[in-house]
Amino acid sequence: MADEAKKKEILEKLRNGVIQYDEDTCKEAAQEALDAGLDANEAIFDGLVSGMEEVGRLFEAQEYFVPEILMCADALYAGLDILKPHCKQMDIGVKGAVVIGTVEGDVHDIGKNLVKMMFDVAGFTVYDLGRDVPLDKFVEEQLKTDSELVCLSAMMTTSMVGMPKVIEKIKEKNPNCMIMIGGAPTSKELADKWGADGYAEDASNALKEAIKMVSFLKKLRDEKAARQQ
Amino acid sequence: MNAEPLKEHLKKEGATLVGVGDVTKALTGEIVHLNRGIALAVNRSLGSETVEQLVKLQRAAEIWLKERGFRSLSIPPDSDRIKGKLIARLYKLFSHKTAATCSGLGWIGKNGLLINKRYGPKLSWATVLTNAPLKPDSPVTESLCGNCDLCVRHCPSGAVTGSIWSRREPFKKLVNYERCRSLKTNRRLFEEKPNCGLCVTICPYSRKGLSNKARSGK
Repeated sequence: MADEAKKKEILEKLRNGVIQYDEDTCKEAAQEALDAGLDANEAIFDGLVSGMEEVGRLFEAQEYFVPEILMCADALYAGLDILKPHCKQMDIGVKGAVVIGTVEGDVHDIGKNLVKMMFDVAGFTVYDLGRDVPLDKFVEEQLKTDSELVCLSAMMTTSMVGMPKVIEKIKEKNPNCMIMIGGAPTSKELADKWGADGYAEDASNALKEAIKMVSFLKKLRDEKAARQQ
Repeated sequence: MNAEPLKEHLKKEGATLVGVGDVTKALTGEIVHLNRGIALAVNRSLGSETVEQLVKLQRAAEIWLKERGFRSLSIPPDSDRIKGKLIARLYKLFSHKTAATCSGLGWIGKNGLLINKRYGPKLSWATVLTNAPLKPDSPVTESLCGNCDLCVRHCPSGAVTGSIWSRREPFKKLVNYERCRSLKTNRRLFEEKPNCGLCVTICPYSRKGLSNKARSGK
């Protein structure tokens, strides 16, 4: 195991690589983490994700805008691609698969991609259907993959109206499946009305929700580790 | 904010031309806050080395801006070939030609290419968008192609329509790209070099550039 100072330095480098949207730094630091024998999960959560949490804060404070967020996300992926193959499957009881896509008639997928990234980070198997996805495709894919979670995204009111149909069909065939909807025109009220289990308002909120979710998983992991000691 | 120090810096780093344009009117959605476009050109055809050189110049511009507390977004020279990156989704919101015309470095010729008075259509371009309030150069708003129709007459696929570009009509169809592409596809079938490039070489402004070079003894 690497000594503490070295470990701290590498985690800091991963974190800063994401915040400064510097892909090369992230790649370098990810490789250093592996070479130094750091736990890959730890490098992801305490390095990369910790950086993304700060990015979420900077976005809220309007220091960062969408281009920066996307560049930060690309930097995170650059590091994640190196660390991921060395990840131990996280054993925290929330392992799962998720089907995600932007509904028919809508090509806006920035928010969807950010949420997808956080699922990737959290070790979910992600079935990304892309954008402008026919409604039935969500139902089919959920049945085929038996995913626990389906995420529907839309930015336009005109395409959002397809959401309740998907929710109804999926719940009919598989009542246990959780459904999250997101995008500018959606609301908590609509989510409740349509029987969705969760909602995220826009790209920043989606990112926040997803970060919250991943932070929650991290907390669970830490608590479990603490109990084991 | 004076743009000359930045231009000097980038020219020292190897840029053939550097211009700053007010691109406010060409921006949409996620990038409206980045209302200055820095157009960068190098005097060589677009190959992997050229791309590398332009990307290096973009980095230099980014760092220069960052040191002064400004944000930037680089649109890489080969932006259409970059796949699998989230940021690539924003690249198509802005074109290099817009930055170049707004920066006064040229107009869009009948051949659909950015034409610079001195170098013709033989330049390769990259763009850095920024929120730094750099003093913009005055834009080129009209075509200087005049009555010349060499590219129209010599295009082997008849793709050049002969329409004249103007900043007032940014969406006018200058080139029938379907035809241009189909020629490429045909040439590939017969294992010839697929790229034609006649509209680049035939342009009188290209040749003027060449003779400039000859005169300066390079």
